Amino acid sequence: MRQRAFAWVIFLAFPLVVGAQNTPKLKPGDTIPASVKSVKMLSVTGHQLSIADVKGPKGTLVIFSCNSCPWVKAWETRIAEVGNWAQKQGIGVIMINPNDPAKNPEDSYEVMQQRAKERGFEFPYVVDATSDVARAFGATHTPEFFLFDATGKLVYTGALDDNARNPEAVKERYVKNAIEALLAGRPIPVAQTRSIGCTIKFREKI
Amino acid sequence: MRRAIGLIGFALIVSAIGSVRPEQAPRSERGAAPIIPVTAHELLNRVRDGKARVTVVNLWATFCQPCVEEFPDLVRLEKAYRDQGVRVFFVSVDFDSELPAVRRFLQRQGVTYPTFLKAQDDDNAFITALHPDWSGALPATFIYDAQGRLRHFHEGKGDFTLFERLVQEVLQHPNPQ
Repeated sequence: MRQRAFAWVIFLAFPLVVGAQNTPKLKPGDTIPASVKSVKMLSVTGHQLSIADVKGPKGTLVIFSCNSCPWVKAWETRIAEVGNWAQKQGIGVIMINPNDPAKNPEDSYEVMQQRAKERGFEFPYVVDATSDVARAFGATHTPEFFLFDATGKLVYTGALDDNARNPEAVKERYVKNAIEALLAGRPIPVAQTRSIGCTIKFREKI
Repeated sequence: MRRAIGLIGFALIVSAIGSVRPEQAPRSERGAAPIIPVTAHELLNRVRDGKARVTVVNLWATFCQPCVEEFPDLVRLEKAYRDQGVRVFFVSVDFDSELPAVRRFLQRQGVTYPTFLKAQDDDNAFITALHPDWSGALPATFIYDAQGRLRHFHEGKGDFTLFERLVQEVLQHPNPQ
């Protein structure tokens, strides 16, 4: 009886967190998941590339994104600016689309090619053909950013900056600040943030 | 002269409208239920107003397919449990430019009561204020008791059975200890 009462207290004392999660999201200090580090993904230029292939001498920036999400569209110009700039600083950059185009045709390979051209992505934009790379990172929505240092340790995860809607009102450029700190050997000012975005349309597991 | 007075009057009205902060101004159109812009703080204050035994807060967006899919179940939940003091706060995170689409969707779903629109640009602060474990993915549903204590949090798509179970648990056990 006492055990049962105790179980109720435990049950009621804490908010119940329920939800369909994949692998837990990578946290600062975690490493690039070995299971997907070398998975080849088709880029918009027709090359097969893995995260290991694009690894930069100073670090690696992995971006989960897509074509269809309004949050991505709001940030897309800034994603291109930061991604292109990061590459020039010796940070390897790869942008991965994990969405199943069967669930939204706007996420097709052809639209990815068009978008990369329009926005001037100088970094690879690739297809996560099984969505398993996103699953291994614990990515839940687009866009999401994961910055690793030169040893492959995660030093920042979260949003690009603190204002998707209005570029003029941005106060914190999280990814750019993190990269600048990484390059200068300083502690990362903010190592983890969150943003609202579009739930990843995972491909079904076969 | 009369024209000058008219122009001054018009200018005063425009100025008065302009001086209302967006988060203060409910947005209603032709008798439709208002869509009230809120920050996380303003939303939580409404949750804690003591006017319901259970408040279900659902974060959704028109562009979010799982949100759209689960929406009718939450509308059904509100109808089934409103007499028992359960209310549902739908909070759209759509951009302002999507307000017409938000309004059309709510009308199609038969939502005749006020709903909300996220009016806080800093997502990180908004998310953290609602729940530290929320990744920011949509949909997300929060269930509060009469005292405004968060009792359940669900990230991802739910259904009527799940939401009903969580609401019933709060109704049956209004105090968590």
